Amino acid sequence: MEPIISIRNLRKCYGDKEVLKGINLDIYKGELIGYIGPNGAGKSTTVKIILGLIGDYSGEIRIFGEDIKACGVEYKKKIGYVPETADMYENLTAREYLTFIGELYGMGYDEANRKAERLMDLFGIKNVYDARISSYSKGMKQKTLIISALINNPDILFLDEPLSGMDANSVMVFKEVMAELIKMGKTIFYSSHIMEVVEKISKRIILINKGEIIADGTFEDIKDQSMMEGSLEKIFNQLTGFEDHERIAKEIVSTVVEGER
Amino acid sequence: MKDFKILKILDLFKIYFEKLGINYPVMRKILHVKLLLDGRRTSAVLSNKNSKRKDNEKEDKNYFAISLVGYFILGLFLILYIVIGKNFLLQMSLVFGFIMFVMMTSLIADFSSVLLDSSEKVIILSRPVDNKTYNMAKILHIFIYISMITLSISGPSLIVSLFRHGITFFLIYLFEIVLISLFVINLTTFIYLLVLRFFSGEKLKDIINYIQIILTIAISFGYQMIFRFFNFLDINKMGYKDSFWKYLLPPIWFSGPFELLINQNSSKHVTIYSILAIVVPILSIIIYIKLIPSFESYLLKLNSVEGKNKNKDKFTVFLSKLICKERYERTFFRFATKMMKNERTFKLKVYPSLGIAIIFPFFMIISMNLKDFSNIINTKLYLWIYMTFTMIPTVIWLLEYSGNYKGAWIFETIPINEKSVINKGTVKAAIVNLFMPVFVLVSIVFLIFYKMKIFDQILVVGINMILYTITIYKMSRKFIPFTKPFEGVENTVGGIKALLTTALAGVYAIFHYLITKIPFGTYIYVLLGLIFVKVSWKKVF
Repeated sequence: MEPIISIRNLRKCYGDKEVLKGINLDIYKGELIGYIGPNGAGKSTTVKIILGLIGDYSGEIRIFGEDIKACGVEYKKKIGYVPETADMYENLTAREYLTFIGELYGMGYDEANRKAERLMDLFGIKNVYDARISSYSKGMKQKTLIISALINNPDILFLDEPLSGMDANSVMVFKEVMAELIKMGKTIFYSSHIMEVVEKISKRIILINKGEIIADGTFEDIKDQSMMEGSLEKIFNQLTGFEDHERIAKEIVSTVVEGER
Repeated sequence: MKDFKILKILDLFKIYFEKLGINYPVMRKILHVKLLLDGRRTSAVLSNKNSKRKDNEKEDKNYFAISLVGYFILGLFLILYIVIGKNFLLQMSLVFGFIMFVMMTSLIADFSSVLLDSSEKVIILSRPVDNKTYNMAKILHIFIYISMITLSISGPSLIVSLFRHGITFFLIYLFEIVLISLFVINLTTFIYLLVLRFFSGEKLKDIINYIQIILTIAISFGYQMIFRFFNFLDINKMGYKDSFWKYLLPPIWFSGPFELLINQNSSKHVTIYSILAIVVPILSIIIYIKLIPSFESYLLKLNSVEGKNKNKDKFTVFLSKLICKERYERTFFRFATKMMKNERTFKLKVYPSLGIAIIFPFFMIISMNLKDFSNIINTKLYLWIYMTFTMIPTVIWLLEYSGNYKGAWIFETIPINEKSVINKGTVKAAIVNLFMPVFVLVSIVFLIFYKMKIFDQILVVGINMILYTITIYKMSRKFIPFTKPFEGVENTVGGIKALLTTALAGVYAIFHYLITKIPFGTYIYVLLGLIFVKVSWKKVF
């Protein structure tokens, strides 16, 4: 089977700082990939390069078999994106924003409007469809962001910390949505810092540290490869070379309980 | 959704855009959203008088349209400069100087949030929109914005000029306005580039903030100044001397072509001005196109975390220990000091009134047109210092508000019973950080005027200033500082409240005048006043 995304020797520098040091990756249709790594490891940079938000990289990225440097912007029609930094035009209402995004994807206004309204309803926030996004709670904003990523029926979804601010019920709904989408053969690229979720939902986990992939495979694979036990969180800490947590935690607590001087 | 007329005009050129390889429907869509957002962004400078927000958001007020009316009124004044005579070099330099100033400051004050927005890229370019279409939308947006402002500010004088000076004048004026718009856009971008090259993004935001403050002061004075200075000038008789530094002032370049083509004056300097007026804007466009990529990369800096900062707290800590007795009062003194100095929205609302307070006393003296300035020493003109008091009510009333009002929950959760220490520390911080510097600055200038002879009188004013502050604080309703959003600010400028407080400042001034009539009055008053300050301070808090 041909990979839906294939990355070869991807490198990116900011000034003389190399943030991606040769990423190689093949992703296949219907995979749910947990993309994890510490802050500043290069996760968001990878996604942004794939989406064409950052240029000036070396290496090759193919999506649906085509080099994204050469094929223009058509490929983005089949991609949905939830950025970590919840960027939206907050002075617009959800109706205005979502139809705008829909139209950018080439949908008609009525179609986008109908779909957006229906999805708002299903996510339980239809009542604020005509209120400005700036007045929303964090969870509502997050749902709007997710709708904007789903509205074009994408084949590939890039989700960066998509659950932040959502309540437990909505989280459950959204996890189920992801499972259904995978069944339909969609591909999801899921990056998050919450290891429990990644461990549970991802068939394949990719761990990136300091611009390099240091582990790639199912949770079981990674356990075997690294010959480590315990949860993904523990393995993550060990693989990224962070063993100080107990000492730091102790120091924090002792600083907290220190008497007034 | 409502459609914009300007977009319908743009539709006429659809074919040309498509020939350039631009996805027209998508570009139109992006522009539509940007124009919608323009209307919803309140102007930092012009519309702050009417910014009372309605809960009912369906009523879509177009803030941009409101600010355009403001520019139109400013533009009416320009008619005077157009009709007054045929000394074009001088007249048109003034006109262009004014237009360029307003365009530039408004571009920086109200539009920089748009120019410097880097989150927009994430929203739009992650969708199937190609760079070309996106950039064209961006350029057209800036172009529409600046031409709306240009049109409202120069429109009135443009029409009048057609009747006053004829078609040639009109055409030159129109052509140059277009050149100037482009020039100003480029110049602003260069300034951003330069600042971002050497400083952090935070510094740029600070600079933008100060420009907004200056613009606010300039506009509130501009209306009065234009009329007052008009009497002094007999424009037709003023000669013109050529000097090197004049070649550095763009407004003078643009006045060149009028002199050259209409007055048929082809002396060397006029010709050079005219050439500069054409060449420099075109050159700036070329450089602009070359620099755009590096601008984009510097924009990334805007969101970067600032490097190490020095701890500048020591002085504030020292000051708080000097001025406040109680522990919590000190804490809030320091907190309020930091809020006043660092919070940009607060500065934008408050600092202009400080600036006006500094200028006002001198403005009054100048407009009195004194014949013999050296005789000032025998007058009681120093009483104009009381004009600085006008800043006090504005500041005290605005202490309740903050751009970061959402942080105010801490006031509810802190374990402090005596909430009055909060206000005590805050008002002290306002006196020390805002009122004192203004007072000291104005006083020093007056002391120089009076050859240091009025030191005792200045002391009286200082004491009265604190008494006045206490009175105003007592008169204002109870509040906890920095807890409300500025959108809810009631009309603080004008109104009966403002009239009353100004009258009260007048009463203080008259009172002071009477004291000077009593022998040794000032010395006795200084003593009494100090005691009075102490007592009333304790009573109020």
